[in-house]
Amino acid sequence: MNIVIDGKTCEARPGEYLWDTARRNGIDIPALCRHDALPGRGCCRLCIVENENAVGSRSVIVSCVFPVTEGLKIHTRSEKIIRFRRILLKLLIERAPQAEGVLLDYCREYGVAGNGELFNDNTNEKCILCNRCSRACQELGNSAIQVTQRGIDKIVASPFNEPSPDCIGCAACARVCPTGAIACTDTREQRTIWNKTFEMVKCAECGKPFATAEELEWMKPKILDFESNLAYCPRCRGRHVANSAMV
Amino acid sequence: MKKTILVCCGPGCIAYGGLDVAASFREQIATLKMDVKLETVIKQTGCHGFCSRGPLVRIMPDDITYYRVKPRDTEEILKSLDNKPVGRLLYHGVGGNILKQQETPFYSAQKKLALRNVGEIDPKNINDYKARGGYEALRKALTMEPEDIIAEIEKSGLRGRGGAGFPTGLKWRIAAEYDNFPKYVIMNGDEGDPGAFMDRALMEGDPHGVLEGVIICALAVGATKGYLYIRDEYALSLQSMKDALADAEKAGFLGDSILGSGRSLHIEVVRGGGAFVCGESTALIESIEGSIGEPRATFAYPTEQGLWNKPTIINNVETFINIPLIIDEGGAKFAETGTPTSKGTKVFSLAGKVRNSGLVEAPMGMTMRKIIFEIGGGIVGNRHFKAVQTGGPSGGALPESLLDLPIDFDTLVRYGSMMGSGGMIVMDDWTCMVAVAKYNIEFLAKESCGACVPCREGLRALSMILTRICEGKGEPVDLEIIKSICELLTQTSRCGLGKTAANPVMSTLKYFPEEYEEHIKEKRCRAGVCSMGRSTVVTDSADMAAIVAMAEAARKVSYGVQSKDKTGAES
Ligand SMILES: Cc1cc2nc3c(=O)[nH]c(=O)nc-3n(C[C@H](O)[C@H](O)[C@H](O)COP(=O)(O)O)c2cc1C
Ligand code: SF4
Ligand code: FES
Repeated sequence: MNIVIDGKTCEARPGEYLWDTARRNGIDIPALCRHDALPGRGCCRLCIVENENAVGSRSVIVSCVFPVTEGLKIHTRSEKIIRFRRILLKLLIERAPQAEGVLLDYCREYGVAGNGELFNDNTNEKCILCNRCSRACQELGNSAIQVTQRGIDKIVASPFNEPSPDCIGCAACARVCPTGAIACTDTREQRTIWNKTFEMVKCAECGKPFATAEELEWMKPKILDFESNLAYCPRCRGRHVANSAMV
Repeated sequence: MKKTILVCCGPGCIAYGGLDVAASFREQIATLKMDVKLETVIKQTGCHGFCSRGPLVRIMPDDITYYRVKPRDTEEILKSLDNKPVGRLLYHGVGGNILKQQETPFYSAQKKLALRNVGEIDPKNINDYKARGGYEALRKALTMEPEDIIAEIEKSGLRGRGGAGFPTGLKWRIAAEYDNFPKYVIMNGDEGDPGAFMDRALMEGDPHGVLEGVIICALAVGATKGYLYIRDEYALSLQSMKDALADAEKAGFLGDSILGSGRSLHIEVVRGGGAFVCGESTALIESIEGSIGEPRATFAYPTEQGLWNKPTIINNVETFINIPLIIDEGGAKFAETGTPTSKGTKVFSLAGKVRNSGLVEAPMGMTMRKIIFEIGGGIVGNRHFKAVQTGGPSGGALPESLLDLPIDFDTLVRYGSMMGSGGMIVMDDWTCMVAVAKYNIEFLAKESCGACVPCREGLRALSMILTRICEGKGEPVDLEIIKSICELLTQTSRCGLGKTAANPVMSTLKYFPEEYEEHIKEKRCRAGVCSMGRSTVVTDSADMAAIVAMAEAARKVSYGVQSKDKTGAES
């Protein structure tokens, strides 16, 4: 089926979300809470676009959770959408003035700066509550961290802020975070994350620390030939597998 | 002829000593050895809705109602039963004393459809309900094709009473058409609006009426499993609906093969998640499924993908109680009441600075002036009317110039407010409208689920800016920021909470711009409510927090007396 995005006719697949259709057709829509590996949650609203109906009136829709239908006519960069995205970015950067990463890139692109004029509560906040981290943890089956509290008091935390018994120190949460909000300190010997410290395991070949012991333990049942595989870091593992296939 | 004495023991009357009056009657009847039936009527309407004049005592079959009855009056009332009524306890109308409750201005302008049985029957007794034609609609529905039931509801023009006013018949039709089983029916009894207690009044005053509506809905759409989702603090409602379920099942109106028809329906009671947002339909579904009650991000409607992703009907308590009436009397009859686009009646909880506060059921299309000045008796303390907040915290405040608007779903929305669940808070000229907006926004910010950015951060920003303005630190640019955040909220929020949250701000900005101007430019609050950065506040508590606290008190009263409710079983 076909839809029109910003004047361009785009091929869309049934069951697909509008955001994905746009990307496959070379049109980038900004997104913060959406992540390829995680189901969309429609939290940040940055991916809003305008949908024009048959009689020409427009409504705002959220592209990352909007299922495409035949004949849509979409505007991703209308005056209103740009204006709304700027307010959203302003709210986010004022909430999390210390944020890094993608959020800052978007702020630069949209000409938005945080100067502490909106919320007069000086904070060191980096988190924008996009839920990527908790969803990643949940997808991996651990659910060691969760979004708790409601409304303006919402935070991401391990249960009761205690070190979570379910946390395996894989740092998937830190990797998917779009603002660098999750503190994860790695040394050669140890990793500290979510108030919990893990011993690092070193690669049998190159000697680089590459995972926590708990993480490897968790991976065991999921990998067939774990004894040989899990001794190596991902890079050496590849080489090792290739070598063993040759002999 | 044997007389019956009805002593109202709703929350309002209990607060004024209704239980003591009942006890005193019981004593006197025993001492005087009279053949009189005493009934304590447990209703949550706050004394037939007229809680500001409680405790109420009604003598049947003469239909004489006494107001503000004290225990010391009971002997006199009993002795008067076969003689002249006790004049001093009657309602004093313009043309003299009024005997019948229905003839007092508070009642005569009302039209009781949803509340038809509340206060008239013993809610714990299924036979009382049956005696008034209860479950006849269900019998009739069992002889009808589902299609015809839905057609009748469509003909009635009934729209959902939970807030948005979606046409009920259409909703049922959509769900009925999906060939995807099992289907579910859910009663939304979360009632989160502060000060609103109409759903509670219905669940506690006429539980079988509500239940019959739910059962008929299930027959119409083909649902085989139902849930009654009830606000966690409503212990009495929870109990009342549980009892009704058990009695209805015993009588064959529920369970396997309803009245031998071969059609089955099983219903469970679920305690609410305890948050305002849990009343939103998709959050409510999440909550029943055991997840945290956050609204869903998806675009699919519950009628297609609801509970466990199956077709699901969610309707409000008051919506359901209208159903048996429509099936009994026909959709056309129901549609005779109301306006072209909104049919039937709506129960309002009238609160704030009106003389008569309580639950009021008015035909759609009645003007706000009539509700506030005729039924409500006008403003207390001879002050002036300033505004009425309709639709709860996410509704709007409407000024005096709009008092003659006929109330219906569309008119309210057109003027920047909404019907919501029917809250109506009246404010006098000692109220600061900026402070009202701030109060409502703070409530919504606290109750936002916090999932999406416009609502979570937008409301936080609004609440900070409004606080600044009330402290005398506002700047002209603040109004521009407020407006742009409001537009964002309305158009980009995920659920109805965020989408309507701008109403309290935009309506006060529109109808009372001078008050914002004064706060910002002159650093002055004409109502004397805001401190404006100075240390003393000059007026009494005309602020919103106090008004809402009063309304909340009415609904909380019976929480404290649940243990004493056993008196209600006695007769
Ligand atoms: C934040 C929020 C809170 C709500 N709370 C309630 C509630 O307490 N009771 C209710 O019946 N509907 C409530 N609703 C409306 C429901 O989402 C839904 O529209 C309604 O239950 C549908 O029933 P109806 O068509 O019979 O009105 C709420 C909606 C929102 C957005
Ligand atoms: S609009 Fe508010 S309440 Fe609704 S999903 Fe967004 S944050 Fe939650
Ligand atoms: S990316 Fe779509 S809402 Fe966040």
